[in-house]
Amino acid sequence: MIQTENLTKIYNRGKQNEVQAVIDANITANDGEITVFVGPSGCGKTTLMSMIGQLLSPSKGRVLVDNEDISAYSDGWKAVFRRENMGFIFQHINLLPNLSAIDNVIMPLLCHDVDVERFRKPALELLQDLGLGDRSSFSVEELSGGEQQRVAVARALITEPRIVVADEPLTFIDAASAKTITDFFVKLRNEGRTILISTHVHNLAKLADKTFSMQHGRIASNTS
Amino acid sequence: MKFRLKNLLNYALGCIKRYKLRTIVVLVCLTMAATLFSSVLFIKDGLVREGQLSLKYAPDLTVQGIATGRQSYIETRYIDLIQRILGVEKVVERIWGYGNIGNTLLVIIGVDLEDPNINLDADYPIESGSFLDPQRNDTVVLGKAVAELIGAKVGNLLTIITESNQARQYTVIGIFNSESSIVNADTILMTKDSARAFFNVPEGKATDLMVFTQEVNPAYYQTQTSFVAREISELPNLRVLTKDLLASAQETTYGARSGFFSIVWYLILISVAIVAFNQTVVVGHESRFEIGLLKALGFSTSDIIQIRLTEGTVLGFLAGSAGIVLGVFYNAVLNAPVLKDVMLGWATLYPAFPVPFMVSAQSIFLTYAITVIPVLFATVIPSWINATVDPDIAMRGARA
Repeated sequence: MIQTENLTKIYNRGKQNEVQAVIDANITANDGEITVFVGPSGCGKTTLMSMIGQLLSPSKGRVLVDNEDISAYSDGWKAVFRRENMGFIFQHINLLPNLSAIDNVIMPLLCHDVDVERFRKPALELLQDLGLGDRSSFSVEELSGGEQQRVAVARALITEPRIVVADEPLTFIDAASAKTITDFFVKLRNEGRTILISTHVHNLAKLADKTFSMQHGRIASNTS
Repeated sequence: MKFRLKNLLNYALGCIKRYKLRTIVVLVCLTMAATLFSSVLFIKDGLVREGQLSLKYAPDLTVQGIATGRQSYIETRYIDLIQRILGVEKVVERIWGYGNIGNTLLVIIGVDLEDPNINLDADYPIESGSFLDPQRNDTVVLGKAVAELIGAKVGNLLTIITESNQARQYTVIGIFNSESSIVNADTILMTKDSARAFFNVPEGKATDLMVFTQEVNPAYYQTQTSFVAREISELPNLRVLTKDLLASAQETTYGARSGFFSIVWYLILISVAIVAFNQTVVVGHESRFEIGLLKALGFSTSDIIQIRLTEGTVLGFLAGSAGIVLGVFYNAVLNAPVLKDVMLGWATLYPAFPVPFMVSAQSIFLTYAITVIPVLFATVIPSWINATVDPDIAMRGARA
């Protein structure tokens, strides 16, 4: 279970261009559920997701996972926590260019003490499940936006994380790819993982067990 | 940890291939700098070695005659006077000077064949023909490179021009091959009597005197030599040169020249560091994004530094190795064009000879050290800076 307490992020604090991106966000996301954050562009969804995923330090507040304050961890322990527990799907896809699809998928394993070559088969199976079995050796530049997003999904799941953080996962992709990914989220929920999704796509919001609506950096409402 | 380390190393090597532009720029610039640097070091080491060889059989003291403040012949009567000084083992007169063959100035040395202490086999090992015949004053033995330069073989007649522009003919009866390439390249040996006649040195005079001191505990060598030198200096119209003085003169001459090139090299090195730094920081948005992404995926700051350290070390070693190989090629095969003139001087009369160079462990270590360190500096520091910020900030900054 993930909880946030008064999670706040203020950029450029005290300067003329100060931005209060997220203000006093209190949320709870349960295991085996899909928790969705919706709201207009610029409302602070990505910042909130980054703070929950320990990719961004909050200006104030805490992130608790199973009642443990992970936001108090050192930089090194945060990295370990992400490595062991989290999978990320980024809004901007963020694949490494000049690498093949399968090499991008196995990248998170490089910082684990495992023989990555043994994970090529599971990585290929993941890509097959996402409809990219025949594209695994393609360089990511040769793939369409939807295909790249599916590679990013596979990368987020290769370490079998218990928490999946997906920031606008369907933004740049076609309807067919969106359906594949959406179905995958349902499958992950059924496997008992905690899934956090930020989106403005109505279909994806429909999957939610819990929805938080954001406006101007604040949680405006939540529905279960 | 075994697999983890292997994974990080493999990833680092992959980065070298992936960032082609940065790799090429750094490798080309650093290799050029390393080539220049190693070439200078190798030549300097070679010259130092030549200096050591030339001093190996040199006397402890060389005594020259002085007239009107300038070097002149020394009177051989000084031999007895110097011989009486405490600590002196032996005093030997020497006749030598310069002679012209074509436009090349060569050193002509008169050898005292009756001196039982002279070590001909060590100093001038004969490669073909034989050594000087005491009965024949019209023969010479040439250094190997001299023979090659003038195309002389054993049995050929050789004409040498004296200072008074007289042509004298000698028969080449042997060719020696010394350890020292300079000696090989500029030395002609003849008997002492021949040399005296050639240079027109009057009886009772010599070019200089070689003074050998008695063997003592090495700890007292300096004291003894200084004492003898001081005693000789008390005699009128003499100048004393110690072995150390000759060595330091040589070291100063060539050391200063290599020092000059070290400055040039450092300027190149700084340029390389700036280029590498620029590639990493300014052009390196890609790199910044990658660091942010790696951290997001669970890599720690130390993992990232380890990756960049590996990259930098490999690049530095590649450039250093290429620089050393090219430095050897430049010296050994190309005979160090440009650098040779700077390091050895511009004297056109000086005979052509292969650049003396030596590849020492110290030079190799130094070349590697100064190719690896700037790259590490230029790659690790910016990476460390990027790796200490939040992954989200690093990725956003790279996209901005």
